[in-house]
Amino acid sequence: MSASDVSATVDTTAQAVQARSRAPWWKTAGPIVITGIVLLVLWAVFAIFADALPGPADTAAELGRMTADGELWSIFGRITLFMGTCFAIAAVGGVALGLLLGSNSFLDRGLSPYLAALQGMPTSMWIPVAAVLLGTSPWSLAAVVSIGAMPAIMLGTRSAVKNVPPLLVRAGRTFGADRGTLLRHVVLPAALPGIFTGLELGWSIAFRCLVAGEIFSGALSGTGIGDVIDRSRATGDLTEMMATIMIVLTFTLLVDRLVFAKVQHKLRVSRGLVDTGLPH
Amino acid sequence: MSASVTITDVAQAFPGRAKARLALDGIDLDIAPGQFVCVVGPSGCGKSTLLDLVAGHTRPARGSVTVDSARISGPGPDRVMVFQDHALFPWLSVEDNVGFGLKHSGVPEAERRATVATWLDKVGLTDAAALHPHQLSGGMRQRAALARAFAMRPKVLLMDEPFSALDAPSRDRLHVELQQLWADTDTTIIFVTHNVREAIALGDRVIVLSSGPGRIIGDVPVTLNRPRVVESERVVALAHRVRGLLDEADQLGITTPREGGDSYVSI
Repeated sequence: MSASDVSATVDTTAQAVQARSRAPWWKTAGPIVITGIVLLVLWAVFAIFADALPGPADTAAELGRMTADGELWSIFGRITLFMGTCFAIAAVGGVALGLLLGSNSFLDRGLSPYLAALQGMPTSMWIPVAAVLLGTSPWSLAAVVSIGAMPAIMLGTRSAVKNVPPLLVRAGRTFGADRGTLLRHVVLPAALPGIFTGLELGWSIAFRCLVAGEIFSGALSGTGIGDVIDRSRATGDLTEMMATIMIVLTFTLLVDRLVFAKVQHKLRVSRGLVDTGLPH
Repeated sequence: MSASVTITDVAQAFPGRAKARLALDGIDLDIAPGQFVCVVGPSGCGKSTLLDLVAGHTRPARGSVTVDSARISGPGPDRVMVFQDHALFPWLSVEDNVGFGLKHSGVPEAERRATVATWLDKVGLTDAAALHPHQLSGGMRQRAALARAFAMRPKVLLMDEPFSALDAPSRDRLHVELQQLWADTDTTIIFVTHNVREAIALGDRVIVLSSGPGRIIGDVPVTLNRPRVVESERVVALAHRVRGLLDEADQLGITTPREGGDSYVSI
């Protein structure tokens, strides 16, 4: 083999390895689509035996109607706006307070037991209290959803901070970082993967709390889900309900895939927690 | 820039199950500015505790530690520590790791970039500047850690067994590189190790500690020409002498751990 042959072989080897490291779209999307189809088939079979349950075809027709008269976009848009705003408030407040708890042992000892109790208790129990105190407006529901998601985020942030390797903190201190710098530039980035787990938990708690509020009273409704629930309760027809469930499922699937899963992957890659030596 | 370090009658203890355990006792040490001092001793003899005291991570139970006759009140960028595990920040690139201390001590961006580039060049990591620590080999990580420490231009550099987790070839190369970097900067270095030959190869002076509690049992000047390597005959010969000191004090025990001896754990 001549020298140029050798370098050509090296080049093609490098290209092959590079190509293998990037999975084609059908390899990443394939399993999701196939699982989705299997679930739809199971649903269709189940709907044949259960009379009251509308099948995928009926639900699709209902979704078509909701798209045509704008209800679908209205529900989707209002969920995005409501959850986006409430979760942003909960995330900023929860992470900030969690960092405070993680770095101040007096506050931690005093507050953590109560936070754990609040987290163990269903947040939706506060909804009647909020409805009476703050009135039956979307604002009162927004307050419960935001504050309700906070304990989980705070506790997640707190334990993530406690799990930061002491060596990194010492390294930060030896390079002259003061308390504020240490918290922002060492503790926060080191704790970020753990903080994200807390945020995901907070997200699901916020969503549960939101729907609990809508069930409690259609008047609290901020997203239109409550109205759908009220109508289904009155008529006994589940088609609109199933269509709304599909809308919500699509919403949570999109949020998970486009936000949480993406950020988690990025955090893991940048910290060397993905073994690039293996095909994955 | 370099500073003198003075340790006067220092003792340090850690709380145990029933009573506190003495880690260091009656340590007196005078280190001249720009001196390269190695500290050897068996594991658990308080070598790392000594560095922690100078770094300001802990305060001594008795006695005083001063740098340029100023009492140490906490960690500061004039005394930088290099750890056994590189302790690079995994979320930052090599470049940002090296620039971390400079950034937070308020060095302007342009000057910081220049300093970082200089030190990356000196340790041979210019091409790896954009990589993250997990993408480097063990030796490269420790080099990045060296660059991060030297870039701060510390008056005192504290090194806690920085090469003990490395493979032998990387360690040999880093021994030579460290001597070169030290010669370029004239900083004071306190280098802790359990490897007697490494101590002789690197230090101007080797402090020998005994364990339980840590006391100074030897202070051996090393006047061999630099750069030295661990295999050199003179280094090996001198290492035998230091080893003799440790054996006399029943340290670095090769026999079964006896009560009171090294590697016997009394709690």
